[in-house]
Amino acid sequence: MPPMESPERLRPMLRAGGSRFSRDAASRPILVFEGVHKSYRRGCPVLRGMDLVIERGEFVFVTGPSGAGKSTLLRLLYRAEVVDDGRILFLGRDVAKLREDAIPFLRRNMGIVFQDFKLVTSWTVYENIAIVLEVLGLPPRLIRTRVAEVLDRVGLGGRGEDRAGILSGGEQQRVAIARAIVGEPALILADEPTGNLDPQLAVDILGLFGEIHETGATVLFATHDRTLLDVCSRRVVVLDGGRAMDVPEGVADEYDNRLPL
Amino acid sequence: MRGLLREWRLHALSICSLVVAFACLGAALLAVVNLDVLEQRWAHAGRASVYLKDNANQRDIEALHDALLQVPHIVGVRYVSSAEARVEFGQRELENHGELAGLPVDAFPSSLEIDIAQDLTDADLADIVAKMRELPSVDDVETYRTWTDRLAKLVRGGVMASALLTIVVLGAVFAVVGSTMRLALQRRRTEVEVLRLVGATDDFVRKPFVLEGTFEGGAGALGAVGLLAALFFLVRGHVDAELAGLVGIEPTFLPWFVALGMVALGAMLGAVAALLSVRTLGSV
Repeated sequence: MPPMESPERLRPMLRAGGSRFSRDAASRPILVFEGVHKSYRRGCPVLRGMDLVIERGEFVFVTGPSGAGKSTLLRLLYRAEVVDDGRILFLGRDVAKLREDAIPFLRRNMGIVFQDFKLVTSWTVYENIAIVLEVLGLPPRLIRTRVAEVLDRVGLGGRGEDRAGILSGGEQQRVAIARAIVGEPALILADEPTGNLDPQLAVDILGLFGEIHETGATVLFATHDRTLLDVCSRRVVVLDGGRAMDVPEGVADEYDNRLPL
Repeated sequence: MRGLLREWRLHALSICSLVVAFACLGAALLAVVNLDVLEQRWAHAGRASVYLKDNANQRDIEALHDALLQVPHIVGVRYVSSAEARVEFGQRELENHGELAGLPVDAFPSSLEIDIAQDLTDADLADIVAKMRELPSVDDVETYRTWTDRLAKLVRGGVMASALLTIVVLGAVFAVVGSTMRLALQRRRTEVEVLRLVGATDDFVRKPFVLEGTFEGGAGALGAVGLLAALFFLVRGHVDAELAGLVGIEPTFLPWFVALGMVALGAMLGAVAALLSVRTLGSV
């Protein structure tokens, strides 16, 4: 992996590591799901011919009951799982067809936030965030600058030397968000990021994602928490019966009976 | 090095185990080195003893003495009478074996002790010995080749034992470093998972473990060299005079390139063991 020295190298289009992404990908949707099938047990598909298109810069809630396939959808995106059938195009490339050694470069274009934070609790806050830039090969001085910037953005300025394990749940999730955005990825994936937080904190975290979205990132926010959908008006995609259904803005109430409270 | 510092107890324990393993190897090499020095010393001792018959008269002995001095490559000849031989023997042995004091004088043959130049070939020496054995006043000629041949066999045996011990140490290093790395990988499971989620390649994930394994192996070998050196110099002051008197050499420590080679071997084995142990990182 060549050393990353100029800010332009952070752009997702160039973070390919192998063959380049298509140059006209900027004009295409960032994500396209075409006939995606995925099942874990024979006869019980989680995703059944799912079709979905997500444009650049969108903020999309992905919701549905437990077992609907929200996490599966995200895991397919960052290649923790492989589709049984269909295509998932990210920046114009079929994720399923990537070789094993190309998966790290795929993930460098994404920032992922999990319900259980997935921080290394024995590391400091700084180390948990800086690792993203160390993987990219940035020089230490630039890493220090960028980590300080994102810590300020998530409201944890000056907390870099604290050990991650002593932070509260909300603070740990903020660190996880900081880690997800520090590399300026094209796509932010959030898999139930508020699942372990109290309602007020959940709203705060959602607000943070909103701020991140305003900088131009595409956000895919998977949640079963109905209350969050009411906080702000966003595109909502409901996963039901293995398929994705778009809920147009402003008519979310029509689908109340499909979503758990 | 983050992992090395955070799990220093785990690595310290492994290094101690490796110090023991490499110390065994180092001790064997030390023995081989000194045996080799001894063999070299005696192989080129340039000494022979011509034992004279009991009925050899003084004139024959003097003639033989003068004739030997004329032989090329013989640099010195010294006559040792029976009485002198008994005295020399008694000084060495009677202290430990008092019953030998009763041996008669004629139990110790007179001899001509010959000093031979170091550039004399074995073939020429054998030729000289054969000719001397044919002389009427000569009973036997001792070149001490048997002893040096036995010493050479001992050295070869020591080398073979060291080679076998190296294989054992190799196995020990692989077992210790491999176990430590697998344990470290298990304890840092979350760290590995996070690294792979943020886009680290497998090589990036493996590199710290390989470096830690290299350090463990190298440190273990270095510790063993240090321990052996400390013990060697501690003991040497007490035995070097006796050894020098007994066999004509002073004990020597491992040559620098052997010590360096051990450390390099340890580092290399540690690296390979770590690489093999973490080659499968699991899927995320």
